[in-house]
Amino acid sequence: MSLYFGIPILMLAAVLQSVWLEQSLIFGGRPDLPLLLVVTWAIIRGANEGATWGFVGGLFCDTLSGGSFGLWTFTLTAVGFLAGQSWVHALGPTVIRLALMSALGTLVGHALLLGAMAIVGYPVNWLYDLQTVIIPATLLNLVLSPFTFRLLVWFHQRTLPRGSMLG
Amino acid sequence: MKRESSPWLPWVLLVVALLLLSLHEAGALTHIENVLSYVLSPLERGVATVLDTMGTLTQTARDVRELQQQVTQLQQQNDALIQENIRLRQYEAENQEYRAQLNFARKNPTYSLVGADIINYGCSIYPCGKVVGQDTNPYLRDLLIDVGSRDGIAIGMPVVTGGAAMVGRIAWVAPHLAYVRLINDPQSHIAAMLQQSRITGMVVGTDDGRLIMTEILPDEKISKGETVISSAVGGLLPRGLILGQIAEIAHQESALFQEATLRPALDFRRLETVLVITDFNPPDFQELQGNP
Repeated sequence: MSLYFGIPILMLAAVLQSVWLEQSLIFGGRPDLPLLLVVTWAIIRGANEGATWGFVGGLFCDTLSGGSFGLWTFTLTAVGFLAGQSWVHALGPTVIRLALMSALGTLVGHALLLGAMAIVGYPVNWLYDLQTVIIPATLLNLVLSPFTFRLLVWFHQRTLPRGSMLG
Repeated sequence: MKRESSPWLPWVLLVVALLLLSLHEAGALTHIENVLSYVLSPLERGVATVLDTMGTLTQTARDVRELQQQVTQLQQQNDALIQENIRLRQYEAENQEYRAQLNFARKNPTYSLVGADIINYGCSIYPCGKVVGQDTNPYLRDLLIDVGSRDGIAIGMPVVTGGAAMVGRIAWVAPHLAYVRLINDPQSHIAAMLQQSRITGMVVGTDDGRLIMTEILPDEKISKGETVISSAVGGLLPRGLILGQIAEIAHQESALFQEATLRPALDFRRLETVLVITDFNPPDFQELQGNP
Protein backbone atom coordinates (compact mmCIF):
# COMPACT_ATOMS: atom_id res chain seq x y z
CA MET A 1 0.00 0.00 0.00
CA SER A 2 1.22 3.47 -0.88
CA LEU A 3 -0.43 5.53 1.82
CA TYR A 4 2.75 6.40 3.68
CA PHE A 5 3.55 8.91 0.98
CA GLY A 6 -0.01 9.20 -0.35
CA ILE A 7 -1.28 10.79 2.87
CA PRO A 8 1.20 13.71 2.87
CA ILE A 9 0.79 14.23 -0.88
CA LEU A 10 -2.99 14.30 -0.67
CA MET A 11 -2.93 16.47 2.45
CA LEU A 12 -0.67 18.99 0.74
CA ALA A 13 -2.81 18.87 -2.41
CA ALA A 14 -5.98 19.63 -0.44
CA VAL A 15 -4.29 22.51 1.40
CA LEU A 16 -2.87 23.93 -1.84
CA GLN A 17 -6.31 23.64 -3.43
CA SER A 18 -7.80 25.65 -0.56
CA VAL A 19 -5.04 28.20 -0.04
CA TRP A 20 -3.85 28.76 -3.59
CA LEU A 21 -5.80 27.15 -6.45
CA GLU A 22 -9.29 28.12 -5.33
CA GLN A 23 -8.19 31.75 -5.23
CA SER A 24 -6.45 31.85 -8.59
CA LEU A 25 -8.20 31.78 -11.92
CA ILE A 26 -6.26 30.13 -14.76
CA PHE A 27 -7.89 30.73 -18.14
CA GLY A 28 -11.18 31.36 -16.38
CA GLY A 29 -11.14 28.19 -14.30
CA ARG A 30 -9.42 26.26 -11.56
CA PRO A 31 -7.72 22.88 -11.75
CA ASP A 32 -8.74 20.23 -9.27
CA LEU A 33 -5.48 18.90 -7.88
CA PRO A 34 -6.70 16.24 -5.40
CA LEU A 35 -9.06 14.81 -8.02
CA LEU A 36 -6.32 14.75 -10.64
CA LEU A 37 -3.91 12.98 -8.29
CA VAL A 38 -6.52 10.35 -7.44
CA VAL A 39 -7.33 9.67 -11.11
CA THR A 40 -3.66 9.49 -12.04
CA TRP A 41 -2.82 7.13 -9.20
CA ALA A 42 -5.79 4.93 -10.10
CA ILE A 43 -4.54 4.68 -13.70
CA ILE A 44 -1.09 3.70 -12.45
CA ARG A 45 -2.04 1.35 -9.63
CA GLY A 46 -5.61 0.16 -10.22
CA ALA A 47 -9.02 0.44 -8.59
CA ASN A 48 -8.10 -0.56 -5.04
CA GLU A 49 -5.38 2.01 -4.58
CA GLY A 50 -7.33 4.58 -6.59
CA ALA A 51 -10.31 4.22 -4.28
CA THR A 52 -8.06 4.31 -1.20
CA TRP A 53 -6.35 7.49 -2.35
CA GLY A 54 -9.77 8.90 -3.21
CA PHE A 55 -11.04 8.11 0.26
CA VAL A 56 -8.05 9.71 2.01
CA GLY A 57 -7.96 12.72 -0.33
CA GLY A 58 -11.70 13.15 0.11
CA LEU A 59 -11.34 13.25 3.89
CA PHE A 60 -8.81 16.08 3.60
CA CYS A 61 -10.92 17.98 1.09
CA ASP A 62 -14.00 17.59 3.27
CA THR A 63 -12.07 18.91 6.25
CA LEU A 64 -11.26 22.07 4.30
CA SER A 65 -14.81 22.52 3.10
CA GLY A 66 -17.79 24.06 4.83
CA GLY A 67 -20.11 21.71 2.96
CA SER A 68 -21.44 18.39 4.20
CA PHE A 69 -18.65 16.11 5.37
CA GLY A 70 -18.47 13.10 3.07
CA LEU A 71 -19.31 14.81 -0.23
CA TRP A 72 -15.69 14.84 -1.38
CA THR A 73 -14.92 11.49 0.24
CA PHE A 74 -17.70 9.78 -1.68
CA THR A 75 -16.86 11.57 -4.92
CA LEU A 76 -13.12 10.93 -4.93
CA THR A 77 -13.51 7.31 -3.78
CA ALA A 78 -15.93 6.66 -6.64
CA VAL A 79 -13.70 8.42 -9.18
CA GLY A 80 -10.61 6.53 -8.02
CA PHE A 81 -12.52 3.27 -8.25
CA LEU A 82 -13.82 4.01 -11.76
CA ALA A 83 -10.52 5.30 -13.14
CA GLY A 84 -8.72 2.18 -11.93
CA GLN A 85 -10.99 -0.31 -13.67
CA SER A 86 -9.33 -2.92 -15.85
CA TRP A 87 -11.22 -1.82 -18.99
CA VAL A 88 -9.32 1.47 -18.86
CA HIS A 89 -6.20 -0.45 -19.88
CA ALA A 90 -7.91 -1.36 -23.16
CA LEU A 91 -8.18 2.31 -24.14
CA GLY A 92 -4.70 2.40 -25.62
CA PRO A 93 -1.25 3.51 -24.62
CA THR A 94 -0.63 5.24 -21.31
CA VAL A 95 -0.70 8.75 -22.80
CA ILE A 96 -4.16 8.21 -24.31
CA ARG A 97 -5.46 6.58 -21.14
CA LEU A 98 -4.12 9.41 -19.05
CA ALA A 99 -5.63 12.11 -21.26
CA LEU A 100 -9.01 10.38 -21.52
CA MET A 101 -9.28 9.47 -17.88
CA SER A 102 -8.09 12.78 -16.45
CA ALA A 103 -10.76 14.55 -18.52
CA LEU A 104 -13.46 11.92 -18.01
CA GLY A 105 -12.57 11.52 -14.34
CA THR A 106 -12.92 15.26 -13.75
CA LEU A 107 -16.25 15.35 -15.57
CA VAL A 108 -17.59 12.33 -13.71
CA GLY A 109 -16.16 13.55 -10.40
CA HIS A 110 -17.83 16.95 -10.62
CA ALA A 111 -21.08 15.35 -11.81
CA LEU A 112 -21.02 13.02 -8.80
CA LEU A 113 -20.21 15.90 -6.45
CA LEU A 114 -23.05 18.03 -7.80
CA GLY A 115 -25.42 15.05 -7.75
CA ALA A 116 -24.56 14.32 -4.12
CA MET A 117 -24.96 18.00 -3.25
CA ALA A 118 -28.37 18.08 -4.92
CA ILE A 119 -29.45 14.98 -2.99
CA VAL A 120 -28.26 16.45 0.30
CA GLY A 121 -30.21 19.63 -0.43
CA TYR A 122 -27.84 22.22 -1.87
CA PRO A 123 -29.14 24.37 -4.71
CA VAL A 124 -27.44 23.22 -7.92
CA ASN A 125 -27.43 25.01 -11.26
CA TRP A 126 -26.12 22.31 -13.60
CA LEU A 127 -25.74 24.38 -16.76
CA TYR A 128 -24.04 27.31 -15.06
CA ASP A 129 -21.71 25.01 -13.11
CA LEU A 130 -20.88 23.08 -16.27
CA GLN A 131 -19.84 26.27 -18.05
CA THR A 132 -18.01 28.01 -15.24
CA VAL A 133 -16.48 25.20 -13.18
CA ILE A 134 -16.60 21.75 -14.77
CA ILE A 135 -15.39 22.45 -18.32
CA PRO A 136 -12.51 24.73 -17.25
CA ALA A 137 -11.47 22.24 -14.55
CA THR A 138 -11.61 19.39 -17.06
CA LEU A 139 -9.40 21.22 -19.55
CA LEU A 140 -6.93 22.36 -16.91
CA ASN A 141 -6.69 18.87 -15.41
CA LEU A 142 -6.08 17.52 -18.92
CA VAL A 143 -3.20 19.98 -19.37
CA LEU A 144 -1.75 19.26 -15.92
CA SER A 145 -2.09 15.47 -16.11
CA PRO A 146 1.37 14.79 -17.66
CA PHE A 147 3.02 16.61 -14.74
CA THR A 148 1.10 14.74 -12.04
CA PHE A 149 1.69 11.52 -13.96
CA ARG A 150 5.45 12.01 -13.99
CA LEU A 151 5.42 12.86 -10.30
CA LEU A 152 3.35 9.85 -9.31
CA VAL A 153 5.24 7.45 -11.59
CA TRP A 154 8.37 8.51 -9.72
CA PHE A 155 6.71 7.48 -6.45
CA HIS A 156 5.23 4.38 -8.05
CA GLN A 157 8.61 3.12 -9.21
CA ARG A 158 9.99 3.50 -5.71
CA THR A 159 7.20 1.44 -4.20
CA LEU A 160 7.09 -1.35 -6.80
CA PRO A 161 8.19 -4.85 -5.87
CA ARG A 162 11.61 -5.66 -7.41
CA GLY A 163 11.32 -6.75 -11.08
CA SER A 164 7.87 -5.20 -11.73
CA MET A 165 7.22 -3.07 -14.83
CA LEU A 166 4.96 -0.09 -15.37
CA GLY A 167 1.87 -1.17 -17.34
CA MET B 1 -1.53 -5.76 -15.10
CA LYS B 2 -1.59 -6.40 -11.39
CA ARG B 3 -4.52 -8.46 -10.14
CA GLU B 4 -6.45 -6.76 -7.35
CA SER B 5 -6.00 -8.68 -4.11
CA SER B 6 -9.01 -7.19 -2.29
CA PRO B 7 -11.81 -6.50 -4.78
CA TRP B 8 -14.21 -5.63 -1.94
CA LEU B 9 -12.08 -2.73 -0.66
CA PRO B 10 -13.43 0.04 -2.96
CA TRP B 11 -17.01 -0.99 -2.18
CA VAL B 12 -16.32 -0.87 1.54
CA LEU B 13 -14.74 2.57 1.18
CA LEU B 14 -17.72 3.80 -0.85
CA VAL B 15 -20.13 2.55 1.80
CA VAL B 16 -18.04 4.21 4.53
CA ALA B 17 -18.05 7.48 2.53
CA LEU B 18 -21.83 7.36 2.24
CA LEU B 19 -22.03 6.54 5.93
CA LEU B 20 -19.89 9.59 6.73
CA LEU B 21 -22.22 11.75 4.67
CA SER B 22 -25.27 10.36 6.47
CA LEU B 23 -23.67 10.76 9.89
CA HIS B 24 -22.70 14.34 9.08
CA GLU B 25 -26.28 15.12 8.11
CA ALA B 26 -27.36 13.57 11.42
CA GLY B 27 -24.81 15.75 13.25
CA ALA B 28 -22.86 12.82 14.66
CA LEU B 29 -19.47 13.48 13.08
CA THR B 30 -18.29 16.57 14.90
CA HIS B 31 -15.46 14.86 16.78
CA ILE B 32 -13.93 13.23 13.70
CA GLU B 33 -14.17 16.50 11.77
CA ASN B 34 -12.54 18.33 14.67
CA VAL B 35 -9.65 15.85 14.82
CA LEU B 36 -9.00 16.15 11.08
CA SER B 37 -9.25 19.90 11.30
CA TYR B 38 -6.81 19.86 14.22
CA VAL B 39 -4.29 18.07 11.97
CA LEU B 40 -4.85 20.21 8.89
CA SER B 41 -5.18 23.70 10.35
CA PRO B 42 -1.45 24.21 11.19
CA LEU B 43 -0.52 23.03 7.68
CA GLU B 44 -3.12 25.32 6.14
CA ARG B 45 -1.77 28.29 8.12
CA GLY B 46 1.81 27.37 7.30
CA VAL B 47 1.19 27.02 3.58
CA ALA B 48 -0.82 30.24 3.56
CA THR B 49 2.08 32.03 5.27
CA VAL B 50 4.64 30.56 2.85
CA LEU B 51 2.54 31.51 -0.17
CA ASP B 52 2.05 34.99 1.23
CA THR B 53 5.79 35.34 1.72
CA MET B 54 6.55 34.03 -1.76
CA GLY B 55 4.03 36.43 -3.22
CA THR B 56 5.72 39.32 -1.48
CA LEU B 57 9.19 38.24 -2.60
CA THR B 58 8.18 38.23 -6.23
CA GLN B 59 7.58 41.95 -6.07
CA THR B 60 11.08 42.86 -7.22
CA ALA B 61 10.76 46.55 -7.88
CA ARG B 62 10.81 48.32 -4.53
CA ASP B 63 9.35 51.56 -5.86
CA VAL B 64 6.41 49.76 -7.36
CA ARG B 65 5.83 48.01 -4.08
CA GLU B 66 5.93 51.21 -2.09
CA LEU B 67 3.51 52.82 -4.49
CA GLN B 68 1.23 49.83 -4.25
CA GLN B 69 1.31 50.08 -0.48
CA GLN B 70 0.46 53.75 -0.62
CA VAL B 71 -2.40 53.08 -3.01
CA THR B 72 -3.64 50.29 -0.76
CA GLN B 73 -3.46 52.54 2.30
CA LEU B 74 -5.30 55.29 0.51
CA GLN B 75 -7.92 52.81 -0.70
CA GLN B 76 -8.35 51.52 2.83
CA GLN B 77 -8.70 55.05 4.14
CA ASN B 78 -11.17 55.78 1.38
CA ASP B 79 -13.12 52.59 2.15
CA ALA B 80 -13.10 53.42 5.87
CA LEU B 81 -14.34 56.95 5.18
CA ILE B 82 -17.07 55.71 2.86
CA GLN B 83 -18.18 53.15 5.42
CA GLU B 84 -18.02 55.73 8.21
CA ASN B 85 -20.10 58.06 6.09
CA ILE B 86 -22.62 55.30 5.55
CA ARG B 87 -22.75 54.62 9.28
CA LEU B 88 -23.24 58.30 10.03
CA ARG B 89 -26.13 58.35 7.59
CA GLN B 90 -27.49 55.34 9.38
CA TYR B 91 -27.31 57.24 12.68
CA GLU B 92 -29.03 60.20 11.04
CA ALA B 93 -31.85 57.97 9.82
CA GLU B 94 -32.16 56.35 13.24
CA ASN B 95 -32.12 59.76 14.86
CA GLN B 96 -35.03 60.83 12.69
CA GLU B 97 -36.86 57.67 13.61
CA TYR B 98 -36.29 58.23 17.32
CA ARG B 99 -37.40 61.87 17.01
CA ALA B 100 -40.59 60.67 15.35
CA GLN B 101 -41.13 58.22 18.19
CA LEU B 102 -40.48 60.95 20.74
CA ASN B 103 -42.91 63.21 18.95
CA PHE B 104 -45.47 60.43 19.06
CA ALA B 105 -44.93 60.10 22.80
CA ARG B 106 -45.37 63.85 23.32
CA LYS B 107 -48.55 63.89 21.28
CA ASN B 108 -49.94 60.91 23.21
CA PRO B 109 -49.15 61.68 26.84
CA THR B 110 -51.75 59.25 28.16
CA TYR B 111 -49.96 56.21 26.70
CA SER B 112 -47.42 54.25 28.72
CA LEU B 113 -44.54 53.57 26.34
CA VAL B 114 -41.52 51.33 26.70
CA GLY B 115 -38.69 51.92 24.28
CA ALA B 116 -37.12 48.85 22.70
CA ASP B 117 -34.66 48.15 19.97
CA ILE B 118 -35.52 45.34 17.53
CA ILE B 119 -32.34 43.54 18.27
CA ASN B 120 -29.27 43.87 20.46
CA TYR B 121 -26.28 45.33 18.74
CA GLY B 122 -23.14 43.34 19.48
CA CYS B 123 -20.43 45.87 20.21
CA SER B 124 -17.37 45.04 22.22
CA ILE B 125 -14.14 43.20 21.45
CA TYR B 126 -14.49 40.74 18.58
CA PRO B 127 -12.16 37.91 17.58
CA CYS B 128 -10.24 38.90 14.52
CA GLY B 129 -9.79 36.13 11.97
CA LYS B 130 -7.26 36.01 9.19
CA VAL B 131 -8.52 34.53 5.93
CA VAL B 132 -6.33 31.49 5.25
CA GLY B 133 -8.12 29.78 2.39
CA GLN B 134 -11.26 29.08 0.46
CA ASP B 135 -13.56 26.10 0.31
CA THR B 136 -12.18 23.11 -1.60
CA ASN B 137 -15.70 22.64 -2.97
CA PRO B 138 -15.89 25.03 -5.95
CA TYR B 139 -19.68 25.20 -5.71
CA LEU B 140 -19.67 26.74 -2.22
CA ARG B 141 -18.63 30.29 -1.41
CA ASP B 142 -16.96 29.77 1.92
CA LEU B 143 -13.86 31.34 3.39
CA LEU B 144 -11.66 29.64 5.94
CA ILE B 145 -10.49 31.82 8.80
CA ASP B 146 -7.91 30.97 11.43
CA VAL B 147 -10.11 31.32 14.52
CA GLY B 148 -12.40 28.58 15.78
CA SER B 149 -14.47 27.31 18.65
CA ARG B 150 -11.53 27.82 21.04
CA ASP B 151 -11.79 31.55 20.32
CA GLY B 152 -15.50 31.57 21.10
CA ILE B 153 -16.70 31.24 17.52
CA ALA B 154 -20.03 29.46 16.94
CA ILE B 155 -22.24 28.67 13.97
CA GLY B 156 -24.41 31.55 12.78
CA MET B 157 -22.26 34.38 14.13
CA PRO B 158 -22.07 37.38 11.80
CA VAL B 159 -18.72 38.15 10.18
CA VAL B 160 -17.89 41.72 9.19
CA THR B 161 -15.02 43.89 8.06
CA GLY B 162 -13.65 46.70 10.21
CA GLY B 163 -16.13 49.15 8.68
CA ALA B 164 -19.23 47.08 9.51
CA ALA B 165 -19.59 45.76 5.97
CA MET B 166 -21.09 42.30 6.19
CA VAL B 167 -18.96 39.41 4.91
CA GLY B 168 -21.15 36.44 5.85
CA ARG B 169 -21.99 34.12 8.68
CA ILE B 170 -20.16 31.24 10.33
CA ALA B 171 -21.31 28.04 8.58
CA TRP B 172 -19.23 25.50 10.42
CA VAL B 173 -16.63 25.69 13.14
CA ALA B 174 -13.65 23.56 14.18
CA PRO B 175 -11.36 24.19 17.17
CA HIS B 176 -8.86 26.28 15.18
CA LEU B 177 -10.73 27.01 11.95
CA ALA B 178 -14.09 28.43 10.99
CA TYR B 179 -15.91 28.52 7.66
CA VAL B 180 -17.63 31.74 6.70
CA ARG B 181 -20.46 31.42 4.20
CA LEU B 182 -20.33 34.61 2.16
CA ILE B 183 -23.42 36.72 1.67
CA ASN B 184 -23.23 36.15 -2.10
CA ASP B 185 -23.62 32.37 -1.70
CA PRO B 186 -26.91 31.12 -3.19
CA GLN B 187 -27.87 29.73 0.21
CA SER B 188 -27.52 33.11 1.91
CA HIS B 189 -30.75 34.99 2.68
CA ILE B 190 -30.58 38.22 4.65
CA ALA B 191 -33.46 40.45 5.69
CA ALA B 192 -32.43 43.90 4.49
CA MET B 193 -33.62 47.47 4.15
CA LEU B 194 -32.57 50.60 2.36
CA GLN B 195 -30.80 52.97 4.67
CA GLN B 196 -32.56 56.21 3.72
CA SER B 197 -36.03 55.17 2.55
CA ARG B 198 -36.28 52.20 5.01
CA ILE B 199 -37.78 50.06 2.25
CA THR B 200 -37.42 46.40 3.17
CA GLY B 201 -36.56 43.30 1.16
CA MET B 202 -34.41 40.22 1.13
CA VAL B 203 -30.80 40.11 -0.06
CA VAL B 204 -29.83 36.79 -1.62
CA GLY B 205 -26.76 35.47 -3.41
CA THR B 206 -26.81 34.07 -6.93
CA ASP B 207 -24.97 31.26 -8.69
CA ASP B 208 -22.59 33.69 -10.35
CA GLY B 209 -21.74 35.49 -7.10
CA ARG B 210 -23.94 38.57 -7.47
CA LEU B 211 -26.09 40.09 -4.74
CA ILE B 212 -29.78 40.60 -5.44
CA MET B 213 -32.34 42.38 -3.29
CA THR B 214 -35.73 40.77 -3.80
CA GLU B 215 -39.21 41.00 -2.32
CA ILE B 216 -39.38 44.78 -2.70
CA LEU B 217 -43.02 45.79 -2.99
CA PRO B 218 -43.91 47.03 -6.49
CA ASP B 219 -45.16 50.45 -5.36
CA GLU B 220 -41.95 51.31 -3.50
CA LYS B 221 -39.66 53.84 -5.15
CA ILE B 222 -36.03 52.85 -4.88
CA SER B 223 -33.15 54.78 -6.32
CA LYS B 224 -29.72 53.78 -7.57
CA GLY B 225 -26.85 54.34 -5.19
CA GLU B 226 -28.92 53.90 -2.05
CA THR B 227 -27.19 51.87 0.64
CA VAL B 228 -28.60 48.51 1.68
CA ILE B 229 -28.17 47.38 5.28
CA SER B 230 -29.29 44.40 7.33
CA SER B 231 -32.70 45.00 8.91
CA ALA B 232 -32.56 42.55 11.83
CA VAL B 233 -35.98 41.20 10.92
CA GLY B 234 -35.91 37.55 11.88
CA GLY B 235 -33.46 38.26 14.66
CA LEU B 236 -30.51 36.36 13.21
CA LEU B 237 -28.34 39.41 12.50
CA PRO B 238 -27.75 42.81 14.03
CA ARG B 239 -29.30 45.79 12.28
CA GLY B 240 -27.18 48.17 10.26
CA LEU B 241 -24.52 45.91 8.77
CA ILE B 242 -23.70 47.22 5.31
CA LEU B 243 -24.57 44.86 2.46
CA GLY B 244 -24.02 47.05 -0.62
CA GLN B 245 -25.51 49.74 -2.79
CA ILE B 246 -28.32 49.60 -5.33
CA ALA B 247 -26.71 49.28 -8.77
CA GLU B 248 -29.61 48.26 -11.05
CA ILE B 249 -33.35 48.03 -10.60
CA ALA B 250 -35.55 45.58 -12.46
CA HIS B 251 -39.31 45.46 -12.31
CA GLN B 252 -41.67 43.67 -14.66
CA GLU B 253 -45.34 44.60 -14.73
CA SER B 254 -46.39 41.01 -14.17
CA ALA B 255 -43.97 40.43 -11.30
CA LEU B 256 -45.16 40.52 -7.71
CA PHE B 257 -42.01 42.22 -6.46
CA GLN B 258 -39.28 44.52 -7.66
CA GLU B 259 -35.73 43.25 -7.77
CA ALA B 260 -32.47 45.16 -7.54
CA THR B 261 -28.89 44.17 -8.19
CA LEU B 262 -26.46 45.33 -5.50
CA ARG B 263 -22.92 46.55 -5.81
CA PRO B 264 -21.20 44.75 -2.90
CA ALA B 265 -19.63 46.89 -0.18
CA LEU B 266 -16.39 44.91 -0.41
CA ASP B 267 -14.37 42.74 -2.75
CA PHE B 268 -14.77 39.22 -1.36
CA ARG B 269 -11.68 37.96 -3.18
CA ARG B 270 -9.41 40.48 -1.48
CA LEU B 271 -10.41 39.91 2.10
CA GLU B 272 -7.46 39.38 4.40
CA THR B 273 -8.82 39.98 7.88
CA VAL B 274 -12.36 39.81 9.18
CA LEU B 275 -14.10 40.30 12.50
CA VAL B 276 -16.56 37.86 14.04
CA ILE B 277 -19.31 39.34 16.20
CA THR B 278 -19.48 36.91 19.10
CA ASP B 279 -21.67 38.78 21.54
CA PHE B 280 -24.68 39.23 19.32
CA ASN B 281 -27.50 37.37 21.03
CA PRO B 282 -30.37 36.38 18.77
CA PRO B 283 -33.74 36.56 20.53
CA ASP B 284 -34.97 33.36 22.12
CA PHE B 285 -37.97 32.49 19.99
CA GLN B 286 -38.77 29.53 22.21
CA GLU B 287 -40.01 32.03 24.78
CA LEU B 288 -42.70 33.08 22.35
CA GLN B 289 -43.94 29.55 21.81
CA GLY B 290 -45.36 29.32 25.30
CA ASN B 291 -47.45 32.47 24.88
CA PRO B 292 -50.63 32.70 22.83
